[in-house]
Amino acid sequence: MTVMNFVYGFIVLLAAFIFQTALTGVNRKVTARIQKRYGPRWYQQFLDIFKALRKGSITHGWVFDFGVIMALGGIMATVIFIPVAGFEAFPNMDNVFVISYLLAVGMLGMAMSAAGSGNPWASIGVSRALTNMVAYDVPLMIVIFTLIFAFDTASVSEIAAMQQGMGVLGWNAVRMPLGGIVAFIALFGMLGKKPFDSFIAPAEIASGPMVEYGGKHLGFMFILHELMTFIEVSLILSLFFGGGSSILVYAIKYAILYTLVNIISQVMPRFKIDQAVKFFYRVPLVFAIIQGLVVIFLGWGVSVWF
Amino acid sequence: MVLENQDNRNLWEKIGDFFSANSIWMKWYCTGCGAIELPPTMTSRFDMERLGMGPMATPRQADVLLITGYLSSKTLRRVIYSYEQMQDPKYIVAFGSCTINGGIYYDSYATINQLDKYIPVDLYIAGCMPRPEGIMNAFADLITMIKKGQANGWRHYQENYEWYKQNQLDSLKEVIIHDEFHE
Amino acid sequence: MMNSMNNIIKQIDDVLTITNSEIITNRQFAIDINSGDVHQSLAYLKSIGFTQLSILTCIDLIANNEFQLIYILNNWELGLFVIVRTIIPRDNPAFVTIINIFPGAKYYEREVHEFFGVTFEGNDSYSKPLLLEIWDDIPPLRKDFDPQVYSDSKFPKRDLDKIYRSKIGGVD
Repeated sequence: MTVMNFVYGFIVLLAAFIFQTALTGVNRKVTARIQKRYGPRWYQQFLDIFKALRKGSITHGWVFDFGVIMALGGIMATVIFIPVAGFEAFPNMDNVFVISYLLAVGMLGMAMSAAGSGNPWASIGVSRALTNMVAYDVPLMIVIFTLIFAFDTASVSEIAAMQQGMGVLGWNAVRMPLGGIVAFIALFGMLGKKPFDSFIAPAEIASGPMVEYGGKHLGFMFILHELMTFIEVSLILSLFFGGGSSILVYAIKYAILYTLVNIISQVMPRFKIDQAVKFFYRVPLVFAIIQGLVVIFLGWGVSVWF
Repeated sequence: MVLENQDNRNLWEKIGDFFSANSIWMKWYCTGCGAIELPPTMTSRFDMERLGMGPMATPRQADVLLITGYLSSKTLRRVIYSYEQMQDPKYIVAFGSCTINGGIYYDSYATINQLDKYIPVDLYIAGCMPRPEGIMNAFADLITMIKKGQANGWRHYQENYEWYKQNQLDSLKEVIIHDEFHE
Repeated sequence: MMNSMNNIIKQIDDVLTITNSEIITNRQFAIDINSGDVHQSLAYLKSIGFTQLSILTCIDLIANNEFQLIYILNNWELGLFVIVRTIIPRDNPAFVTIINIFPGAKYYEREVHEFFGVTFEGNDSYSKPLLLEIWDDIPPLRKDFDPQVYSDSKFPKRDLDKIYRSKIGGVD
């Protein structure tokens, strides 16, 4: 581990932020076109973030401030472990477990900070966000464990590399179609896209965890949200959709996956939180268990395709 | 009250004002009929997101407070609460003749007549109520004002806080809300 | 409809002491009742199907130095409204609550107290403020209250160079 690793890590962080923020801006335009509007400028998301960072801010106690720093720190630490098209800032440390534990630091920091604001809407939002996490995590983790069992490795970059060379047919989403479906649905829950966005519901609980954030705190939360989106989409892309053989292929696949999720979510209504949990524990959980049994006992989709 | 016009911002404030002008998040206080003019302004017919504007859920997140109609003395207390919760820099756009001079309820026992005595209004939109075209035009004006550094109502409020507070107390007696839901 | 309404009026007239009755539309009729009979009348009307209190309000009849209390009841089965009117004195207006017949009247009585100053014996919360906060004048919907004077004293007006008035029907 040298200084260069940290430089690479910083480059990954910066590139992830710029790429994902630009993509979010483009997707706001896509959303607008779905709604037959003209839409904002593609760089609108940058303007929003820098505007928020420019504004003044007040604190609601040190838990509120510390939670924001902890969440941003945890998420930034996670981003530098994400392998991008085989490139890793810290080689051989891109374990699924490392990523999911570091991601939990960020999530808990956010929950702590929102609860520290003392606003009841924030508490409701946080409890819904954590419930939502429990709902999508169980089926997704079963599928990821199935992958780890099938490939004998927990390294994200190695699982991504094993899917390459056969085109679309090599993707885990195609080799294990039920698992692919579960991962794709879970991505909606991870990103907080409709129909699983009950924890931010602006008209119902006044944007939930974000309710007391203003100015700089809100700017940090926006940066955090962009980085978290990068982690989640990257993880699903690498594990189930073959990653990318080069940075360009990776970026294109990433953009297509994220835009597809956004387009689908724009025509969805919103689940109540109990409906979301029931949904995840009914359809995706059954799919995930069937997929696990098929891989463990029949071995289909692991090494032999044809 | 004439807000000062000379431009004595430094470079950072100019850059900040550029971002503020191009990304305006709004919170509207739906007191009167003006609120119903905003959905067409937001949706596909007029699409205010072109200007970088969008609705926000709470006053803490918002940059501009829209007062969309009559304010009774009771709602004025809530508006002052909401305004003081917002983070600097913050702006106020007041809709319609009712906020300018009381409109057709100018002689009501409960309706205030002149909003800028109580909170600093950056921009009035005349009309009863202004149509979405008028609202879009006003937002374009607001963007120009922020870019030129003329939307200084929030600074004016800080500098003349006693004057505003005195006006609020003269009309309302007490700004703190006492009711069944705040006790 | 008219027949059933006439039957109802006749039925009410037989039981209650009504000073006057009046048909307003084909779904609405009004009865005037002495203030002492209001409670038993409302209880009787509720028992024959007028189960909903639509509104309780008040009119300031300043020329006669009287307040008129108005109870509008709704019968969902027949689609009929009955307007029960009674007169109480304007000086020291006091009446007895009806919350034991229609519990929802609690808030209407608070409102009437706030806007007209009528007190309601038996309703513990009638004097709590409902809509007005920190009111410091005579109740505002009384006819001898001048809103223009109050507004001028409370809310500063904008200085206008010229005041434009529109002509309505050719009269300035």
